[in-house]
Amino acid sequence: MYRQWIRALPDEQQVAIIEAGETAALSKVRRALRLLQTLEQKGPRFEVELLSSQNLEPVLPYLQFALSCLPSEPQLQLAPLDDIEGYVARPAESDRLLHARVVIWRVEEVLPEVLFPLSHGFPDQLLGRIEQVLERVERLVSLHRKFAPGVPLFISTLPLPSHLANRLFSSQHEAGALAAIARINSRIYNLAGARGGVHVLDVADWAATQGAAHADVLLEMMARQPWSATGQLSFGFFLARSLRPLLVPRRKALALDLDNTLWGGVIAEDDIEGLVLSHDFPGNVHLRIQRELLELRNRGILLVLLSKNNEADAKQGFDSHPEMILKWEDFVVRKVDWNHKHENLRDAAAELKLGLDSFVFLDDSDYEREQMRQAIPEVLILNESGDPLQILRALWETDAFESLTLTEEDRQRHHDYSVRAGRNVEGHNDDLEGFLRSLEMEVTIEQIEHSNLERVVTMLSKTNQFNLTTRRHSRAEVQRLLEQQGAIGLALRLRDKFGDQGIVAVLLAVPVPEEGTLSVDSFLVSCRALGRGVEDALWSAMLEEARRHTYHRVEAAYFASAKNQLVANFYDRLGFRRDAQNTNAVRYVLDRIETAAFPPWIARSSVHHAE
Amino acid sequence: MPNDSLLSVLIDFFDLPPNTQSTNITQLTIAAWDSLAMVQLITELQRIFSVEFDLDEIQTLRSYDEIRHSLEKKGKLSPTPAAPML
Repeated sequence: MYRQWIRALPDEQQVAIIEAGETAALSKVRRALRLLQTLEQKGPRFEVELLSSQNLEPVLPYLQFALSCLPSEPQLQLAPLDDIEGYVARPAESDRLLHARVVIWRVEEVLPEVLFPLSHGFPDQLLGRIEQVLERVERLVSLHRKFAPGVPLFISTLPLPSHLANRLFSSQHEAGALAAIARINSRIYNLAGARGGVHVLDVADWAATQGAAHADVLLEMMARQPWSATGQLSFGFFLARSLRPLLVPRRKALALDLDNTLWGGVIAEDDIEGLVLSHDFPGNVHLRIQRELLELRNRGILLVLLSKNNEADAKQGFDSHPEMILKWEDFVVRKVDWNHKHENLRDAAAELKLGLDSFVFLDDSDYEREQMRQAIPEVLILNESGDPLQILRALWETDAFESLTLTEEDRQRHHDYSVRAGRNVEGHNDDLEGFLRSLEMEVTIEQIEHSNLERVVTMLSKTNQFNLTTRRHSRAEVQRLLEQQGAIGLALRLRDKFGDQGIVAVLLAVPVPEEGTLSVDSFLVSCRALGRGVEDALWSAMLEEARRHTYHRVEAAYFASAKNQLVANFYDRLGFRRDAQNTNAVRYVLDRIETAAFPPWIARSSVHHAE
Repeated sequence: MPNDSLLSVLIDFFDLPPNTQSTNITQLTIAAWDSLAMVQLITELQRIFSVEFDLDEIQTLRSYDEIRHSLEKKGKLSPTPAAPML
């Protein structure tokens, strides 16, 4: 997991960190720290105070190392051993900003009597001692809130003791060590739930998942430091992960695949009955994946569907399969088509008004993950393997969506964003024109000029589907084309009820030597504006311009690419005649220039003419 | 690592010049070798050589020679390749 934290660091530091992480060697940990010190950009300063009942001094390099990986520039302050309350009950140093205070304690120091119950008045006297510890926990929180009210407090739970005699007997009584720990931990969980700014550092959970390998009895006896080298390193990363939400916002959206991810099989080939999704193995793995995803959605992570499928097939899977947990509507944006997934993800990000670094990507296909990794490095790739069990494990283990709290906005987020991305709502297909009218579209035709040139060049370089010639002109080439006397360069800006969608269509045309003839060089529409009629609006404006320039004839061409089948017959529809063609290209001529109407559902706001 | 892996480990651990002679590695000659370093060194040696030290041995690990003697007695003078942990 820490490997994902350090992705933005230079190679030298990454290699040193991974070497330290793989060996847990103190010398390598120190070396990585030295290299991190040489960085100009060290990450945010992170002031953390550690108060502990066990000796953390030997562990400090590991903690420093793990927190540096966040990345951050940690400033660790270690309170004197066993002086937890004394340290908390000090007036805050006014010039010092503390980002977190962490209390780490164990039953060995907090309540050692329960390790030797019969020597300490078992059971009544011992039950009284447990009550005292519960009061101590409460008092600690009160003191902290009195002396450092704005500082997040992390209180550790007590791990089960690694070394305990008579474990069997100890489990039989409420005054035994295990019951005592459970009661104290329960109070700690209660306090964190009840009060803002108080959080749990669940050391008990960490120790349980580590097992015996994290403990070292010699070091415990020698230095009151109970962890092996691997345990110290592991604890460092556990602490870093627990504090990370203070520094790094969680990812907001998960973009995911359909076939072989949400269910086993491919819906276009296997039909509904053939999909693997059930309460029996292996369909139960996909069922569990869906339950985890629904939980994420309910915690405020936006789900985005990216699937290469026919939309009708995909939707039928959701509507018809009896075991389906997720619903079609659980995805705030659905991109089910044959576009590149990274293009669809960019479009989804734009629709949701989220940065690309808010996204996580989940897909069983190695190819899709690799393409996403290369195309949009900001997107976090969740899984490293397409195996359904590995996908499930990745969902369990990721810290990308971790947060310490849950807000009302989190619970509402899916709903709020569904409204925002509402242009994708269903049910309008039977009345397409009515639906298009409901979008309240308004376009502005702009001359291509300095202010919009950047966007035009971006569109030329990116647009694949609605692109008649797929000419990837550079900025300089566009400028050169438009410098010609009589050249026409138009950009169409779209506004609808959801807001300004920016420039979504571009047309470039240049004069040819033949008298009065204009040649269309490029004509393209962004994939997020397909099917709305903006191409007809732009064509209408283009004909108007052509007449203004006293052209009377237009030439155009369709060059087939791997992606632009969509517009193979576009010029036929506009009334051109085919002049010449081979397998990859068709040349068209329009012999007379007449006016063409704007689509009735699109309003035209104004026309700008360049000087 | 050169042939003497214990020497390399100690040079690394105390950040000593690479050509340090093993006889110069003792608790008396290295200022940084305090009780905290002792705890960390034992952690490091246990991890690298996959050994557990007995209590009476701990008192004797005060120099390169003494550590070497202890490891030799256990037949653990070469490091054990550890599986990647995280």
